[in-house]
Amino acid sequence: MESPDTFTLLPLQIDPQTKAITATGTASNALTTELQILNTLHRSLLSVDTATGTPPPPVPVNPKRSAAISKLRESGNAEFRKHQYPSAVRMYSLAIDMALGRPAWEPSGLVREEVSGLLSNRAQAHMSMQNWAEGAVDAEASVEMKKVGNAKGWWRRGKCLFEMGRLEEAEVWVKQGLEFEATEQDLLQLKGEIEKRKGK
Amino acid sequence: MWPFDAVNWLALSIPFAYLFILIGSLTVFSNLYRKRQAATAASLAPWFPPHLHRNIYLTLLHQENPKVPDSILKAALLRRATEDIHRIVQVRNAKQALQVLLQRGSVGDDLWQRFQRAEKEIEEELRDVVNEANAFAPNWGTTIFQSASEMAQNAHIRERLAEIQATAPAEKEWWEKRRTEISSNFMKELDEEKKSPTATEAASGKPAAKTGSDDDAVIVEAGGPTVNAGKGKKKKAKH
Repeated sequence: MESPDTFTLLPLQIDPQTKAITATGTASNALTTELQILNTLHRSLLSVDTATGTPPPPVPVNPKRSAAISKLRESGNAEFRKHQYPSAVRMYSLAIDMALGRPAWEPSGLVREEVSGLLSNRAQAHMSMQNWAEGAVDAEASVEMKKVGNAKGWWRRGKCLFEMGRLEEAEVWVKQGLEFEATEQDLLQLKGEIEKRKGK
Repeated sequence: MWPFDAVNWLALSIPFAYLFILIGSLTVFSNLYRKRQAATAASLAPWFPPHLHRNIYLTLLHQENPKVPDSILKAALLRRATEDIHRIVQVRNAKQALQVLLQRGSVGDDLWQRFQRAEKEIEEELRDVVNEANAFAPNWGTTIFQSASEMAQNAHIRERLAEIQATAPAEKEWWEKRRTEISSNFMKELDEEKKSPTATEAASGKPAAKTGSDDDAVIVEAGGPTVNAGKGKKKKAKH
C-alpha cells in the first residue's frame, strides 16, 4: 500500500448521463470488475431512502422484504401440502431470489437463516418428485448456510445420496451430520439403513 | 614563551591525527550503516498489494471536470471500507501465528517489520475512512464499518451459494445418465430372465457353482456383476 499521503491516479471517467464510472484506455481486469461492482453498488445505494443517502445501520431491518419472503414461503408450503411440487419449487425459488436480493448491507446472519430454511424446503419438494440430484444440491447448500440446528438439511442430502446409490458419500455425509446433531433420530436411522445396504 | 617553545608540534600532531581519523571514520561508518538500514526497511515488500479501492476513491474524489456526484463517492467509500475489513481480518488472524513463529525463530525479523508496518498502515487507513464518512454524513463513521462487514459477509455467502448451485447441472446430468443405465440394465435382465431362466438360476447359485468345474466359474464371473447391479437397480426403480 502507498504511504498515507499519496495515491495512484487511475484513468477513470464518468458517463454524464448514466453516472457510470468507466476506465479509459486499457484497464486491468481487476479494475474493470471492481468498477462494475462499484456501479452496481451505486445503483442500489440510490434506492436507499435515508436522508443522507448513506446505507442505514444493519439493524433494524426493513420489514417489507421479510414479509414478502415469508409470504412466498407460506404459499410454497401450501402448494407442497397440496402435492403441487413443481409450483412449490417455483415459489421457494422466488423466495430464495428475494432473500438473496436483499441490499448487501443488511444483516448476513438473517440472509443465512432465511436462505437455509428455503433451500431445505426446496430440497424436500425436489425429493418428493424424486429429483434426487437437485435435492442433494439444495440440501448441501442449505447446510452450507447453516450447519448447526439444521438436522433436516443434513438428513435430506444423506437421503438423496442414499437413493442415488452413492453409499460411500452418504455415509461420510451422515457421519459429519451426526457431529453436529448427535441425537437426531432420523439421521441415526439413515445411518443404520446405509450400513445395512452396504453390508449386503 | 617557554611552554610553546618546549612543545614539539610535529610529535604532538600524531596523536591528534590518530584521534581525528578514528572518530571521523566511526562517524562515517555509523552514518552509512544507519542510512542503509533505513533503506532496507523501506524497501521491504509491502504486506498488502496496492489498495485498488482506495485509489479509485481518491481518484474520483480529486476529479474536477466534471465533478463526481456524492452518491458515487459514497459507494466508492463503502467499497474501500469493505476491502479494509478484509485486510483487518487478515492482520488479526496473522498476528498470533506470526508472534509464535517469531519467538521460535521460524521467521526472520524483516517479516515482523513488514507486518508491523502493515498494521500501522491499516490503522491509519481506518481512521481516514471514518473521517471521510463523517464528512459525508454526520455519524456515518460509526456505522460504515458495520455496513461494510455485512457487505463482505453477504458477498461471501452469495459466492458460496453460487459455487454449490453451479454443480447442479452436472449432478443432474450424471444422475439422468445413471438412471437410464440402471433401467436399461434392469430391462435387459428381465429379458434374459424370460429367455433362459436356467442361466440366471445358475448365476444366482454362485457360491455352490464356485466349487464346480472351470467352465461354471467362467459363467459365474460373467453373470455375477450384471445380476448384482440389477438387484441394486430394482430397488431404485421402485421409488
